[in-house]
Amino acid sequence: MLWFLLRRLAAGVLLLFAISFVSFVLLSVPHLDVARQLVGQAATQDVVDAKNAALGLDQPVLARYADWLGDAVTGDLGRSWFTSENVVTAIGNRLPVTLSLMLGVTLVTAVLAFTLGVWAGVRRGAVDRFVQVLGVLGYALPGFLVTLVIVLVFAVQLRWFPAIGYIPLTTSVPGWSSTVVLPILSLSVASVAGVSQQVRGSVIDVLRQDYVRTLRARGLPPRRVLFRHVLRNASAPALTVLGMQFVGLLGGAVLVEQIFGLPGIGSMTVTYTTRGDTPIIMGLVMTTVVCVVVINLAVDVLIGWLNPKARTS
Amino acid sequence: MRIRRFPTVGTAGAVAVALALTGCSAAGGGVAGQSDPTLDIATMTIPQSLDPVTAIGGALPFFQAAYDSLLKREPDGAYSPMLATSWTWDPGRTELSLTLRDDVRFDDGSAFDAAAVKANLERFKASTGANAKWFSGLQQVEVVDATHVVLHLDAPDPAYPHYLSDAAGLMANPAAFADAEKLKTTPDGTGPYELDSAQTVVGTKWVFRRAEGYWGERLPFDGVTMTVFDNETAIVNGLKTGQVDTAVIQDANQQSSLDGAAGLTSTPIDFDYQGILLFDRAGKLTPELADARVRQALNHAIDRQTMLDQIRRGKGAVTSQVFGTDTAGYQEELDSFYAHDPEKAKRLLAEAGHADGFELKMPRMSSIVTEAIASSLRSDLADVGITLTWVDVDQGDALRRIFSDREFSGFVMNLGQSADDWLVVKDLVLPGTFNLFGYSDDTVRALVPKIQAAAEGEAEDAARDLNRHLVDDAWFVPFYRMSYALVTDGGVTAQPQSGMAVPSLYNYKSVG
Repeated sequence: MLWFLLRRLAAGVLLLFAISFVSFVLLSVPHLDVARQLVGQAATQDVVDAKNAALGLDQPVLARYADWLGDAVTGDLGRSWFTSENVVTAIGNRLPVTLSLMLGVTLVTAVLAFTLGVWAGVRRGAVDRFVQVLGVLGYALPGFLVTLVIVLVFAVQLRWFPAIGYIPLTTSVPGWSSTVVLPILSLSVASVAGVSQQVRGSVIDVLRQDYVRTLRARGLPPRRVLFRHVLRNASAPALTVLGMQFVGLLGGAVLVEQIFGLPGIGSMTVTYTTRGDTPIIMGLVMTTVVCVVVINLAVDVLIGWLNPKARTS
Repeated sequence: MRIRRFPTVGTAGAVAVALALTGCSAAGGGVAGQSDPTLDIATMTIPQSLDPVTAIGGALPFFQAAYDSLLKREPDGAYSPMLATSWTWDPGRTELSLTLRDDVRFDDGSAFDAAAVKANLERFKASTGANAKWFSGLQQVEVVDATHVVLHLDAPDPAYPHYLSDAAGLMANPAAFADAEKLKTTPDGTGPYELDSAQTVVGTKWVFRRAEGYWGERLPFDGVTMTVFDNETAIVNGLKTGQVDTAVIQDANQQSSLDGAAGLTSTPIDFDYQGILLFDRAGKLTPELADARVRQALNHAIDRQTMLDQIRRGKGAVTSQVFGTDTAGYQEELDSFYAHDPEKAKRLLAEAGHADGFELKMPRMSSIVTEAIASSLRSDLADVGITLTWVDVDQGDALRRIFSDREFSGFVMNLGQSADDWLVVKDLVLPGTFNLFGYSDDTVRALVPKIQAAAEGEAEDAARDLNRHLVDDAWFVPFYRMSYALVTDGGVTAQPQSGMAVPSLYNYKSVG
């Protein structure tokens, strides 16, 4: 297991280097006139040139990448061109917001999707159809529509929750939960719908296996068969999907963070990418890659832990 | 076995929801109708940094919290004393003498004096800030004594009071210049507020607390929070739920969604205008544009009122002039100078020898030229025989192709209307940024020096004459001034600021 972890971590570091290089080069190719954006349309060319020099944009791409990499390995990702924030601090400030959402949605999804999926898979019949209809509805409803309706109903009309903003967990726990409940709810709709269908399918597949029939024939209590044997085997594909949902939430968070005015890395990615703020974009790319590597690793470990067969394969 | 944990986790989730329900009233800022010791401003403008050399108009409130400026610009555009108690021009209008306060100190105890002014102005001029060009004519800053300083210019520039009441006049502690990186996120001025670094998340939320012992006028709020959002939907929701006290809403649809919202007041701000900036008046790229009749035809071809009604839901006012309502050059009757008259446009084109029309190529930046604007202009111009071809360009690329490569004869732009005649002349009329091809004519050459250096009454007459000439000779094709909505909740009132898209920080008052 340790060897497996080390190998995966080494691959993750290599991936980080490769993606950083490709991203940096790509960011340099369509030369967004960042200096002109910074100094405004009315600035003279001299001012634009001076700004370019100040940002180091008059240097070749490889030299700039080498500079960036040299600083990055020491933990210095530079400062934003547009707001002068320290990139590490800026992302550090915003990451908890997005992680709050992602963890919250994953938690809600794990609980609801597994419950619904197992319920449907075991009971079948009307219950199954009901869960399937819910799943299709949840998946088919456009995310922005769900989010807008949730804001209008629960925040603007009923005033149960704030419509915008984020209170850090460290400032106030009730405050924090009040600001994340609606965003988590919005994101959970599609997530629960997707994962519950996966759990349902897996449970049905496993229930059809010969060994389940044998266990039942031996007179094991149905509850024990379900929890000890069926769920263990059905959990691997479901957890994989849950892991993918988690990564996918990085994208889904963009919209929800914008509508709720949450200062997370989703809305940050949109704002800074459209401006061509290279230091911040690079920081965000690195953060995202680290998240993806860690999540995949966590899912693999979890599956191995739940299902010994997966470890040997 | 492990799965049995799920119910526990579920319980934790239920507790979190319960906590959320009980705690939801803890979130948010001011509640409509109640007195609010802090002012929560929502904005879509992010300041590049809090170093004054990077200040621009839309971000000025961030700087006004922490810094004082040499002059103060009142809501109506008049100038009043701030760090400078008086200012006078010499007869030749190339020397501006300032008298400074002697009772102002920076946080570290050092005095604000003439040397600090010199250090700030010289640093502003040498910077790569957006407005550094304002000081291109500043030759020397002469320190006479601790409270007197003289600005020597190489040519008259009547907009200096504007600069000194804007970004260029913000005074930072010269001791902070040694560590410019720090100054970017930690302001060091003499202003009415101090940045609360512990509560501030640069890039998202800036929190200011009242500076104890501030020398100047006590502002009505103990604290000011400025939160940046990247879309107006969130701001509008925040206004409706009382989490935001005030914001300027630009989008016409968002403005309409606030109509009738309880406890909110909207005041129109007419700062930005939209129109075609024609550069190629000598016909270098598009020969047809060299004839004033062709440019007039463009103006007559555009159906401004329909555009305003359809695109901005009527929120604004049609206009044919680029001088803003706060300038001396502005004349109300010029707003309707070019009526929508396709027949007259065709006649003018025929007289100019282009009865079969011609092709006009313009860049399309989707952030400004929406689908509605693009198709409206194309069809209006097609009606008189002019083929408008849009060239799709992306935001960053567009600026280079337009300003550096000079690839187009004009482009559709949203521009702020300065309250200062000379700034209009400098930005739009003199060869330079928005007069890329350096076009001029005898009338302009005769009138500009009068606005630049003549005594006040005469300068104003010249500004009016110039404006009329620019409209008559069709230098531009303006469509309309766009009304933005300055929205405030019941606890706050705000006054629009002449020459700015957002109110100055001094323009907010507390109610009750």
